[in-house]
Amino acid sequence: MKVNEILRLVWINLIQNKFKVILTSIGIVVGAATIMMVIAIGRGGQKEVEEQFKNLNAGAIDISYEMSSELSSLMDSVKTSGGRGFQNFGSSSKKSGSSTQKGSSGGGMPGGGNGGAGNANGSNFGGSSQGGPGGSGNGGGPGGDMIMGGSNGDDSSRMNQEKITLSEDDVDDLKTFLPGISKITISYNTKSDVEGGDLDDATGYTIAGVKHNYASMSNLSMAVGDFISSSDEENKEKVCVLGYSVAKEIFGSVEEAYDSTIYIDSRAYVVNGVLAEMGTVSSGISPDDSIFLPYSTGVKYIVGSSVSPTITVIIEDVDEVDAAMENIQTILSDSYPNAEFTITDAGSKMEAASASNDTLTTLLISMAVIVFIVGGIGIMNVLFVSVKERTKEIGILKAIGCTKRDILLEFLLEASFISIFGGIAGVLAGLGLTPILEHFGVRVELSVLVAVLAVVFALVTGTVFGFYPALKASNLVPVEALNED
Amino acid sequence: MFAKKKKREMIRQLQETDHKIDIRMLNKSYQMGEQSLHVLKDINFTVDEGEFVAILGPSGSGKSTLMNVIGCMDQWDTGEYYLDGMPVHALNGKELTQIRNEKIGFVFQNYHLIPAYTVLQNVIMPLLMRGIDHKTAEDMCMDTIRLLGLGERLHHKPNELSGGQKQRVAIARALVGKPAILLADEPSGALDSKMGKEVLRLFGELNAMGNTIVMITHDLEVAKAAQRVVRIVDGKLYHKEEQEATG
Repeated sequence: MKVNEILRLVWINLIQNKFKVILTSIGIVVGAATIMMVIAIGRGGQKEVEEQFKNLNAGAIDISYEMSSELSSLMDSVKTSGGRGFQNFGSSSKKSGSSTQKGSSGGGMPGGGNGGAGNANGSNFGGSSQGGPGGSGNGGGPGGDMIMGGSNGDDSSRMNQEKITLSEDDVDDLKTFLPGISKITISYNTKSDVEGGDLDDATGYTIAGVKHNYASMSNLSMAVGDFISSSDEENKEKVCVLGYSVAKEIFGSVEEAYDSTIYIDSRAYVVNGVLAEMGTVSSGISPDDSIFLPYSTGVKYIVGSSVSPTITVIIEDVDEVDAAMENIQTILSDSYPNAEFTITDAGSKMEAASASNDTLTTLLISMAVIVFIVGGIGIMNVLFVSVKERTKEIGILKAIGCTKRDILLEFLLEASFISIFGGIAGVLAGLGLTPILEHFGVRVELSVLVAVLAVVFALVTGTVFGFYPALKASNLVPVEALNED
Repeated sequence: MFAKKKKREMIRQLQETDHKIDIRMLNKSYQMGEQSLHVLKDINFTVDEGEFVAILGPSGSGKSTLMNVIGCMDQWDTGEYYLDGMPVHALNGKELTQIRNEKIGFVFQNYHLIPAYTVLQNVIMPLLMRGIDHKTAEDMCMDTIRLLGLGERLHHKPNELSGGQKQRVAIARALVGKPAILLADEPSGALDSKMGKEVLRLFGELNAMGNTIVMITHDLEVAKAAQRVVRIVDGKLYHKEEQEATG
């Protein structure tokens, strides 16, 4: 039989069983919608990660120091140094990485251990175990015992006990001794109450004390005015630069913010400039939501001696980052023999973020595959029933000379049509779902390719699962099929 | 080698018969568990072009099996069967399908129309199966449809037709392919007597127009519509002469 004649018969059959077609295809509809949304969400997540890290230099390394003995210092460090919000993340991704990393948020935990992976793990455990017992006065005592044994516990009690403040001297040391260094800066951030502009009440904002080169290192650009200059720093000028969102919140617009005055801890600061909008970032602080002050100004008026700065180094060659991290530890240990510094690199943060996104995507895709299998079994089921129902018809067709191929093709095409219908309906359902998902803050990146892929998946599922019933139909013996009641 | 030999044999056999149907010493038995049921016993049966033959037998006599064999829908054990010169016993499944399509026009007791298709779609199916396109097939079957008085019903579904009309559709479907034989299984069995007579009269007309017809029935009255009646009892075929001879 000509294929277009078979198609005509398929069409007749489908049209007469609209309800059955719809019910059968529901599984495929769900499957196609799922796979489309999953891929779109996965791509959305990927895009988000890319955007979050777009102002991040792959060769950037953050160095900070935390005191081990007090829970509060841990908490402080999380609060005051935005970069550290990510540190656990970063270090967990570097489990097998260099040993320089082992300081991490675990504080005293890693002790004198110089090994590789084991210590990195230990440090992560340490971080959490310290949160539990509530401060563990003797510095990693319980945590250390748990993971590293008693002697190491002693070691770690010696470590990170002093109060160390990374300073501009350390910056100079690193500048002088670290091979392959391209740029270096020191910064800190804290939270303070801000008044002024349209604000009715004092509102807490992230305040970052930065050097003049911070903007270029973080790829920040200005909407109006200038970034903090080196003379602002030297003179401890009370000037500031506002992030885009901050300017909008306080003054309503970027233009109005420029050259106005804000009050941080009740001291007046002149707005020297406003940053261009950077979008969401997850590395370090979010520039849109921060207020930048000259480093020295902030130390003098806001943070005082409790400052806990982060030194950021940019390495020229990204491949040298691991070596540089070890070198940094060596250089700093000259000045601070009993200290472990938290050293994280931007690349591993990026990797970690995109790895977690990949994991999520894989998970979602496996879910979609399961949905498809269930949908496919649904199709197979209905087709089996259909073959049974139409046994007599198949018998008649065979008696009057219909070939195996024609019957196989008819049933297979029926399955394919049902699944294409389901696939298209699924894509439409996905399009309908997109605004709802976006409303809940899920980023969805749709594309024609994703839609086509969903339909193709649906078609493949329908055809694969439709094949067996179709084969059964085509192998029916005419005499037996005719006599079936 | 084998194919060549088979072909030569086929040509030889082609020359050997000039009957429309020529069945020689055909036997068939079903295996039912331990027992073997011998349903067709040494059947010898010929039908010539233009004949109208009725095979008369009670249920269980093997007449349905014989019909399936004649209709190329069933296998048998031993014996030869030539249909329109083709050695059916030597054909494979695919060739049998083709034979059914081109050489045989089936008319079933229960019409066996496809409920989802219209009259027209039902009638042209055998032509479509040959690979003829829809338009050409429609043109080809118009004469037959008019002959059977179905012109008004072309786009009706079978369930909108009376029994007699359904059977006429089935007959039209059997005829459009211009088959070598028309094979009818109790064609009046599902109809009331008036309609049944009508259908039998129609068969008579079709026969008068030159169609070769083999009809299977259990009803002697129905069988009388045919020119020649053969009886089948317990798997054995008795021709008229023999019947008369045996009384």
